Amino acid sequence: MRLTTTLAVALACALLSAAAHAQSGKLTLYTSQPDRIAAETVAAFNRQHPGITVETFRSGTTEVMNKLAAEFLAGDPKPDVLFIADAVTMEGLKAEGRLQAYPEADVSAFPAAAYDRDKTYFGSKLITTGIVYNTAAPKPQSWLDLLAPAAKGQVVLPSPLYSGAAAIHMAAMSAAPALGPDYYQKLADNRAIAVQGNGAVVTQVAGGQRMYGVLVEFMALNAKAKGSPVDFVFPKEGVSAVTEPVAILKTAKNPEAAKAFVAFILSKPGQELAASQGFLPARNDVASPPGFPNAAELTILPVDMSQTARETPALKERFSQLFGG
Amino acid sequence: MLRRLGATASERALFLGLIAFVGAVSVAPLARLLLEGVAPGGRLDLGILRSVLGAPRTWLAAERTLATALASTAIATVLGTAFALLVGATDLRGKSALGFVFLLPLMIPSQVTAIAWINLLGPASPLLKTLGLAPAPGTPHPLYGFSGIAEIMGLEHAPLVFLTLRAALASLPGEAIEAAEAAGARRLRIIRTIVLPMCLPALAAGAALAFISAIGNFGTPALLGIPAGYSVLTVLIYQELAGFAPAAISQVAVLSLLLGALALLGIAAERWASGRHDIRWAQPRTRRLIPLRGAAPVFLVTAWAVLALVVAVPLTALLATALVKAYGLPLAADTITTENFRYVLTEHAATARAALNSLFLASATALVVAVVGVFLGYVVVWRDGVLARALAVAAELPYALPGVVLALAAILVFLRPLPLLHVSLYGTLWIILAAYFARFLVLALRTIVAAYRQIHPSLEEAAAIAGAGLWRRIGTIILPLAAPAVAAGAVLVFLIALNELTVSALLWSAGHETLGVVVFSLEQGGDSTLAAALSVLVVVATAALMALASLAARRLPEGVLPWQG
Repeated sequence: MRLTTTLAVALACALLSAAAHAQSGKLTLYTSQPDRIAAETVAAFNRQHPGITVETFRSGTTEVMNKLAAEFLAGDPKPDVLFIADAVTMEGLKAEGRLQAYPEADVSAFPAAAYDRDKTYFGSKLITTGIVYNTAAPKPQSWLDLLAPAAKGQVVLPSPLYSGAAAIHMAAMSAAPALGPDYYQKLADNRAIAVQGNGAVVTQVAGGQRMYGVLVEFMALNAKAKGSPVDFVFPKEGVSAVTEPVAILKTAKNPEAAKAFVAFILSKPGQELAASQGFLPARNDVASPPGFPNAAELTILPVDMSQTARETPALKERFSQLFGG
Repeated sequence: MLRRLGATASERALFLGLIAFVGAVSVAPLARLLLEGVAPGGRLDLGILRSVLGAPRTWLAAERTLATALASTAIATVLGTAFALLVGATDLRGKSALGFVFLLPLMIPSQVTAIAWINLLGPASPLLKTLGLAPAPGTPHPLYGFSGIAEIMGLEHAPLVFLTLRAALASLPGEAIEAAEAAGARRLRIIRTIVLPMCLPALAAGAALAFISAIGNFGTPALLGIPAGYSVLTVLIYQELAGFAPAAISQVAVLSLLLGALALLGIAAERWASGRHDIRWAQPRTRRLIPLRGAAPVFLVTAWAVLALVVAVPLTALLATALVKAYGLPLAADTITTENFRYVLTEHAATARAALNSLFLASATALVVAVVGVFLGYVVVWRDGVLARALAVAAELPYALPGVVLALAAILVFLRPLPLLHVSLYGTLWIILAAYFARFLVLALRTIVAAYRQIHPSLEEAAAIAGAGLWRRIGTIILPLAAPAVAAGAVLVFLIALNELTVSALLWSAGHETLGVVVFSLEQGGDSTLAAALSVLVVVATAALMALASLAARRLPEGVLPWQG
């Protein structure tokens, strides 16, 4: 009896140490999450996996992706895990064979649209794009309000030439039956202007340069929470969404730690953390943060990611014909 | 081959050292990048070259780059020259303070300057609203497009012209001015016929720097051009990079080639302009200032009024943003706070680390490129040949490309372990330093070369006949004569490197952030107020450093501090 107990304890110890050994060492993370959010995520992960040292490189999506592209070209990509804005970008990497599948990932609580069928990348949250408005202007209800005479010259939107999320938004808007394929044409006719990214949109609307902006929800809600004179609307036709996917690179040097990180992001505590940071979680068993409509009331305009990945050049071409650039 | 490099062993050593330095930090990364343009993945394929150069939008963007660069250079040259003359050649009262304040905009991030002007002249402008001059809401913004880009870049680059010209004025021979005065020449005539021609190399160098800076500028054309659909080459490059297409780096390489060609135009114009007069002066110099007499108050008021506009606008905007609770709120008793400063100073762990990193990077870069500039300048001015010209061009190009392109090139070369040493610079502070050497060498070089062109070769020849070796001649004859220019170059590099963002944005790694990266990260996270607070702290700290240097000025050789009169 004692012998079996001793054996069992020894076996458990051996297993534990093996597990601890497997999930230790250095993990290199490349992410475009805002600084503070990324730091909180890593800290929460480290509370579960104290043995893993996470080295983070954080920058804008363009900077992160170009650093990675140069590393591919030089033949030694550094990151184990990539945690960036949108699925279209991930589709591109998947097509180049850069991503590693993680078939054991537990996706039972996720809607099928949230992750890649081949389990190479996994959406971590829903970042939706709706309308931000300066509180000095009347509250809009619909995407069509941006085409009204009152909004002439008052709309600012992020250009898909610089932002993947903006390209996805354009694809979603153009495919929505309620808006029609010439929605962007009408926006341009109403003298909307395009800027480089979401940050420039919130600056213009909060600063009163333009009254309406096309913007991701969390930036608008953050600015509102701090007291900037803005508010956010989920228009009645629906919103577009990016999923901020996380993926393991095929060249990961510490795949076990990488899997642990992805598992943490997809876990209930990981998703609750995202909700506490003001993001709409991708898991359907975690409640939305305050300020968001219930998931059931929120219409997400559907986008086929791999199709959008293929059609992006044509989409950009059309945009630059309408808005210049 | 070695024989052809120079007459003596020390000259050969000088050439080899310069080739090694410029080759490692500048030529190797750029050549590696360009290779991607003509041979993507290592196989010769001119398809991308043809498709990029065949696209009408490429040439439209090139035309716009050239147009905005020329216009902004004209503005920067007029403004920079006016202030350099006032500070460096006249007896205007309080001119050191004038020079000091004129340099401050160098330390304000360029997007802050652009946003400040957008706010000031836009429909929501508090100032224009009060005056009843605000444009109607919904009308196109007056700064969006060609003229706005040219104007704002002109203001941004004026300190470059100021610094190079100011250094040359410090070694202007007073005897020539005295002679003209004795002959009864009026002040304007003296400036037109003596001061400016004698400073022509410096003027040309400053204008060339402003031109190259304008060609490689991304921040201002992005903020003011994108909303108007007015894309310059750097903006096209960013579009390619933002698309993450597999061929993006190759396309960027081709576009960079085009930017390089435009930069060469600037370099050629500079050579032509500075070779037009022989302005070399062999006698010892005494300072001679042009008396302003009765016109002094007019100049004083005008100069400070211009400064109030050019410096106060971005600085006030920065300060107002740093002091307000949330971006977009009006600054009032109930919205003012020091919380932003408290947070970045005491809670934001990255601030102190980044400040140390940037301080180290900026000082080391300023020191090294000034030293290399002293020697490279010698070769460029007195050993002019194919090799010297090639070295000068190689030093020039990294500054004419957007920072992100230089950073990509640096990754391509420095990711792998270095040959012989078997250590990799990647993921350390050293890769940023190497990229800074490449990027900022030209700032020191241009200033120093302009000063050398004022020195008569007979001085050095006399020393050579007397048996002084190369190092001794450079150390005891040339360096003392060019000291103001060397110092001006180092100060310029220090100020710009301290706030650098676009290169380090790709090259930093955990623990090796720069101040620019921290400001950018705060800005991107939507914390514009925190980013502004940090920028204000940087401006204040740098101004304090400059003030300390002014206090120590009595112990320094005359003319070494570029803002001093």
